Amino acid sequence: MTPIATTMMVLICGLVWGGFVLLLFRAIKQEKRKTDGQRKS
Amino acid sequence: MSRVEEFGSRWGLIIATLGMAVGTGNIWRFPRIAASNGGGSFLVAWVVFLFLWSIPLMIVEFSFGKRTRRGAIGAFVETAGPNFAWMGGFVAICASAIMFYYSVVTGWCFRFLAAAVTGGLKGQGEAEALWNSFAGTPKAIGTHFLALGLGIAVVWFGVRGIERVAKILIPTLAAMVLILAVRAVTLPGASRGLEFLFTPDWQALGSPKIWLEALTQNAWDTGAGWGLILTYAIYMRAREDVALNAFLIGFGNNSMSLLAGIMVLCTVFAINPAAQQDIVGAGNEGLTFIWMPQLFAEMPAGGLFMVLFFGALSFAALTSLIAMLELATRVLIDMGMSRRPALLCAGGAGLVLGMPSALSLDVFKNQDWVWGVGLMLSGLFFAIAASRFGLERLRNDVINGDHSDLRIGRWWVVIVGILVPIEAVTLMVWWLYEARGWDVEGWLDPWQPFSVGTVLMQWAIALILLLLANRWLANRSSAGAAKGAAS
Repeated sequence: MTPIATTMMVLICGLVWGGFVLLLFRAIKQEKRKTDGQRKS
Repeated sequence: MSRVEEFGSRWGLIIATLGMAVGTGNIWRFPRIAASNGGGSFLVAWVVFLFLWSIPLMIVEFSFGKRTRRGAIGAFVETAGPNFAWMGGFVAICASAIMFYYSVVTGWCFRFLAAAVTGGLKGQGEAEALWNSFAGTPKAIGTHFLALGLGIAVVWFGVRGIERVAKILIPTLAAMVLILAVRAVTLPGASRGLEFLFTPDWQALGSPKIWLEALTQNAWDTGAGWGLILTYAIYMRAREDVALNAFLIGFGNNSMSLLAGIMVLCTVFAINPAAQQDIVGAGNEGLTFIWMPQLFAEMPAGGLFMVLFFGALSFAALTSLIAMLELATRVLIDMGMSRRPALLCAGGAGLVLGMPSALSLDVFKNQDWVWGVGLMLSGLFFAIAASRFGLERLRNDVINGDHSDLRIGRWWVVIVGILVPIEAVTLMVWWLYEARGWDVEGWLDPWQPFSVGTVLMQWAIALILLLLANRWLANRSSAGAAKGAAS
């Protein structure tokens, strides 16, 4: 693969898949916070 | 209506909505369109429109569902006002018309899955022979009925039924596509497929066509602006967030498209690179039902991967079909019907009105063309309804209100208020202008399957009937709520 194709692959896959994983972790964290808050109240 | 109907958890909502978004368009259209529109350059434009079309409209739909707890027509009445029930009606008609022929597509996937399981696609030319002897013939009615029957069986048990099935099908679908993609990239010569997909042609970014194709792909394969997310959002719990869920669905859907693109193009380039032009130019059905089985047949353990491929396609199609069925059912529930009679009406209409598409590929392609472009009008209607409700009001009260996990800035107001309407109108004009070139003499003839005339005629019939029935629709759309309150 050419360097430009490799760079694009890393950038696009990093943005799309990386973005999805980061958002998923954020959702898990927020959900845990909400559930803990509900239990305390 | 039963207000106790809701998803059991946030993950139930997300998985069901992902199931709605991930459909055949991710697997059979995205790889083909990316490959024939400049590869890496197309991907740049595709990512840009994820932020400029899909996610902003998903936020609108989630917030409408959460705020109004009504299906397509009722949500438009409550946000834009009773004079705009017809707009919600168009959204419902468009998604329902797609459901009629999408059930046929789901049936095709089932038939090819069965053939893959029984080893009926391994021989030279067997896939093409099956396609020619099956699609567009009375045999396709049986699988159309099977697909819709399965959809009805799931929606029969309400939103919990949808959630339960999605929790099984979507992780399985993701695993299947992942296995196929890993197998494809490890085939000798697969790197040529990756190179083809990711090499950018920077000059191509100056071409409007690349941007319009990228916007179209976002409009068709994310489910934004179809009314389906709105329908699932009716059942989200009160403590649920809007914006983070919309981002998750958008990124999740495009993650699956990217995986499918890698899987298909690596397979094509590893097995038959000489035919890549023919393969990507073969259209959605040609690529999926004729070329892919031939490629798998030449691969070691290809029979197994063929089963995984058609299994993934069947699961993707079925979960999207379920969402379309629920949308139509929900509109009838809002009008005062109970779930099961409403479902039988929606499903019965699907069985009957899907038959012409099962029997004739010309009818199927005509319906795909008319209501595919109609989705852009649906997206425009959502933007108009949100603007009439007040974009700042929606942002402050619903999106950034209590339980928000991700605060949305004023950029969203600008995109939905200005950019989305411009994008929708540009796309409709472009597609209709393109269609004029397909048949210069008969472009206005409403009886030609791919003409501008057929789009305008079918839209006009739908819109005139909806405008005439607007008052009735506006009044009836809250009958279910009134019935629920009274009981």
